[in-house]
Amino acid sequence: MAEFSWQAQSPLRKALSPGRLGLAAGQAGVAMTEISDFSLVQVMARRGRAADLAKAAKKEWGVAAPDRPAAIAGKGATLIWSGPDQFLVVRIGNGLQNAVLPLAAVFGDAASLSDQSGGRCLIQISGNKARDALVKVSSIDLHETVFPVGAAAATSIDHTGVNLWRGPDAPGGSPIYNLLVFTSFADSLWHTLADAAAEYGIEASRTPLA
Amino acid sequence: MADAVQTDRLQRVDASGQTGSVASATQSHRLAAGGLVDRAKPLSFSFDGKIMAGFAGDTLASALVANGVKLVARSFKYHRPRGILTAGAEEPNALVELRSGARREANTRATTTELYDGLIAESQNRWPSLRHDVMAVNSLLSPIFVAGFYYKTFMWPAKFWEKLYEPAIRRAAGLGKASIEADPDHYEKAWAHCDVLVVGSGPAGLAAALAAGRTGARVILAEEDNRLGGRLLSDGGEIDGKPASDWLAGALREIESLANVRIMARTAVFGVYDGGTYGALERVNDHVATPPAYQPRQRLWRIVAKRAVVAAGAIERPIVFPGNDRPGVMMASAVRSYINRFAAMPGRRVALFTNNDDGWRTAEAVRRAGGIVTAVIDSRGDGSKAQREPDTRLLAGVVSEVHGGVDGVRSIVVRDTNGRTQQIEADCLAMSGGWNPNVALSSFHRGRPVWRDDIAAFVPGQCPPGMVMVGAANGDFSLAACLRAGHEAGTTAAEAYGAKGKTGATPAGGDEGYAIAPLWHVEGGKAFVDFQHDVTASDIKLAQREGFESVEHLKRYTTLGMATDQGKLSNVNGLALMAEATGRNIADTGTTIYRPPYAPVAIGALAGHHRDENFHAWRLTPSHHWAAERGAVFVDTGLWKRAQWYPIAGEKDWLESVTREVKAVRNGVGFCDVSTLGKVDVHGPDAGKFLDRVYINTFSNLAVGKARYGLMLREDGLVYDDGTTSRLAEDHYFLTTTTAKAGLVMQHLEFCRQVLWPELDVQLTSVTDQWAQFSIAGPNTRDLLKKLCDPSEDLSNEGFPFMGVREVSLRGGMRARLYRISFSGEMAFEIGVPARYGEAMARNLMLAGAEFGVTPYGTEALGVMRIEKGHVAGPELSGTTTADDLGLGKMASKKKDYIGRAMAGREALIASDRQVVVGIKPVDKANRLRSGAHVVPKGAVPGPDTDQGYLTSVCYSPMSGHWIALALVERGRERLGEIMRAYDPLRGEDMEVEITSPVFYDPEGGRQRG
Repeated sequence: MAEFSWQAQSPLRKALSPGRLGLAAGQAGVAMTEISDFSLVQVMARRGRAADLAKAAKKEWGVAAPDRPAAIAGKGATLIWSGPDQFLVVRIGNGLQNAVLPLAAVFGDAASLSDQSGGRCLIQISGNKARDALVKVSSIDLHETVFPVGAAAATSIDHTGVNLWRGPDAPGGSPIYNLLVFTSFADSLWHTLADAAAEYGIEASRTPLA
Repeated sequence: MADAVQTDRLQRVDASGQTGSVASATQSHRLAAGGLVDRAKPLSFSFDGKIMAGFAGDTLASALVANGVKLVARSFKYHRPRGILTAGAEEPNALVELRSGARREANTRATTTELYDGLIAESQNRWPSLRHDVMAVNSLLSPIFVAGFYYKTFMWPAKFWEKLYEPAIRRAAGLGKASIEADPDHYEKAWAHCDVLVVGSGPAGLAAALAAGRTGARVILAEEDNRLGGRLLSDGGEIDGKPASDWLAGALREIESLANVRIMARTAVFGVYDGGTYGALERVNDHVATPPAYQPRQRLWRIVAKRAVVAAGAIERPIVFPGNDRPGVMMASAVRSYINRFAAMPGRRVALFTNNDDGWRTAEAVRRAGGIVTAVIDSRGDGSKAQREPDTRLLAGVVSEVHGGVDGVRSIVVRDTNGRTQQIEADCLAMSGGWNPNVALSSFHRGRPVWRDDIAAFVPGQCPPGMVMVGAANGDFSLAACLRAGHEAGTTAAEAYGAKGKTGATPAGGDEGYAIAPLWHVEGGKAFVDFQHDVTASDIKLAQREGFESVEHLKRYTTLGMATDQGKLSNVNGLALMAEATGRNIADTGTTIYRPPYAPVAIGALAGHHRDENFHAWRLTPSHHWAAERGAVFVDTGLWKRAQWYPIAGEKDWLESVTREVKAVRNGVGFCDVSTLGKVDVHGPDAGKFLDRVYINTFSNLAVGKARYGLMLREDGLVYDDGTTSRLAEDHYFLTTTTAKAGLVMQHLEFCRQVLWPELDVQLTSVTDQWAQFSIAGPNTRDLLKKLCDPSEDLSNEGFPFMGVREVSLRGGMRARLYRISFSGEMAFEIGVPARYGEAMARNLMLAGAEFGVTPYGTEALGVMRIEKGHVAGPELSGTTTADDLGLGKMASKKKDYIGRAMAGREALIASDRQVVVGIKPVDKANRLRSGAHVVPKGAVPGPDTDQGYLTSVCYSPMSGHWIALALVERGRERLGEIMRAYDPLRGEDMEVEITSPVFYDPEGGRQRG
């Protein structure tokens, strides 16, 4: 009997070769990192049940579900606003586990849940030139005062839907932007982002969600 | 009028004896001191192959001036010799081919091209050389090339037009040649956001940026030039009691220290769009030979600004007099710029022709630089209030002739108010016809400029929302007024958004007089209005005589203002001449308005990153890289790249590969990545009710664990899309769409949910990207799946019936969704796993099917098999067909309402003679069918009256052994067996075909249920 193995494959497996890209001199201005091993579930409130979702989230992760564009880090999960009465739950995980079942236990019949763990690729853009690179692809105002840590947006990059949110700053103080992009577009968007950041020098890598 | 430029040391290089450096050897007209060029940084460049020298800080034009070059171009139509007219973006004459090879850029303005070491420029529109241009003969033919010439040639015999006149005219008239090689540089686009956008960094713009910046507001200061300061760089003056250059240095120091102010030099704001969005072009690396690695040449900015203060300055207006286009005739303000900013003397013996006080500043500048002012010709006559210097030779009158040629002006003829003429020596004639506020940006939302008699110019009318125009752009020409208006506008704009910091005191400057008395035209010989398009004063009169009096007609008939300078110099003069010719005033004559772009924008900059392989984004299927490793040929379907077929060694063409794949599936087993189909989770207690309203058939009664084919209509009753939808739980359906309509159907469903039926408790999520989905088809499908699935899974007809759906366990610890649905007509399943396991799935399917000869197949084989089975797809779901046309009319439920039901009952949509889907086969089986061929009755003459349909989908059918097609044919289902004609005039083909059932293979459908 043949041995079947189920090796998860990143949609960036060809596009991302870890190491230095673009301008080679000096310190890389931008780090582009694929964050792997996450589970992602789309949570949508059933009609009139948004308040129940907020309550359930608070109970489970210690934070209320976002009711405006924001990314809220709770215990064991980050909740990212994705539209009115809906949000995404990002947790550590992999596709062999059922991502929906544990959340069904949290939200009961108040939510409709869809597994998107395979449907999205998470790309982190950081470094002191991260904003300079992102303004080439994003129409969102990323200024400190407008898009601070924890800000989120459901927006588009290169005509493709993207959930963008700002995580806690890196130890050096430079901002970290998270881009949740459609799996099928990931290869294309990675190239677009790398072209935008090339003049600043890029350090490309991948790392599991921590 | 004060002048900040230090004058005591100014001497010409050749006079001062400082000719030691190589750099100055060619610079016969360079001043020894002063100006903003860096004499420590000599640069060498070539013009028409001649090597010359300049300094850092020069433009190509200023370097040419410094080298004593007078002749730089030939005009568009008459090939008249032309020199440098201006020192700015409005330049109509000094257009050159810049750089060489793939980087060659035609029609580049020498006046805005920053000099760099090694710059190569060529003059254009001349042959064999700039000095000896054969086409200058056009000038003798000028009575023929008058206004409307191009249109009039259409009246000549038409047969000559395309072959003779047009090519001949295009060769004779024209400007530079663009490179035909691909541009090796890259361009990009970017966004910026601010509270206050200040356009222009002259005194008004700087005062505005300083005031707004001091409040802490986010400010962007955009300046087209590489250096900030605007006219302060050329005209000096006094601000706050000190020389303007000192004030400027202090202002720049302060502004650069403000973290909330972003200075964007070399950035021209060219457009105003909705919502306070401004288009701007940053010339990032136009000032170097080649951009540094990874840097763009130009960057197109979209600046989103809550408020904008536009201090775009004013453009000096030429005077329309005979000979005004001779090399050596230059705008008076440009003469000042070359002397004061660039330390280059346009001439040693300069005459000045002016109708206003401002022009007189040029006489002063020339004298301070050591030049001689041979005469000032002031058309205002005795009424002139101009400041007269004791030794100035003032002549009241006009310039009526200019003597000179390719080597520049030699002398001019002055006609006084009594009609007496005299000749004046000069090697440069400076002219000032007054100033036109640069109103362009104010017009971009249809704001119509307003005429002001006191300054004889148009000023901005209604500005786009959030924008104010200040300073010279608003008709305030004195330094004091510019500073005041700028400071005030900067303060107001910042305060409008809650900024509260102190804005400081208004900088104080002088209130210089202007005192213009318009002079629109001096009669005599050929006097140019539009230099770039060779439109003369007599062309405008001709246009008026021929009835083209409206400003819009005038523009199009004469091409006035339609050149690359977009009438920056010529518009107002042209309107004034039309007003004169029609006996109206200028206000009544009106003006054409401006449209973006204000400055030329390269197509490359508009395209940005989207060129070559990045023309548009692409989508990859989960098994893409696996397929690529197998050598699959990919096809673009929308944004997707799909495997079209998988050639193997020795196959001679695609048909052989596709035929092999079809046979392998029909006789064994194969699989195809169908992840591109749109997939939607439909959740909620009302999900079934929702689908009943969306589809023509019923889904609320579908059992959990079953799939059903669904068809949806548009509101107008025509078919929108189709696909299978499965019920995974009581409150969870999994809907699929076609690849092409995935996005549109999702939008449609969201519209239904949010707008039409908000009362339904239903939630939609696109899960297209979540699932890697493969169709596994062929008689050995079940054998393959038994190898792949956990032994506990019952895949028998009883345990997993046709149209059944359920989650299954696979060997190796994977869960998958298995759907028993078939598109190929074979025993088939679709299997879905999370996208990250798509590649593993492809490998495991190969492994599980190895002993059954499993064959991956592409979209071509998929298409062939669906045509053999008569399944409709994109070509039949064309937006013109009804459910019944497709043979699916029986699916429509009569017990419920659904989108499109009412409109589907319209007379024409249920007419008996509609074109419906049938099969087609050639009578001569050797013939190849072609999609798009028309179906006409046998014996009829093909034409609109006899056309009865067309072939929609065509393929070679391996199972039939000949070409087959699906077609839409009038009353087709009543005509089975009829012989008709497939007529294809495009390919010159015409053949007899037989109308058949659309199902060519396994009509009983036993195979898929087996």
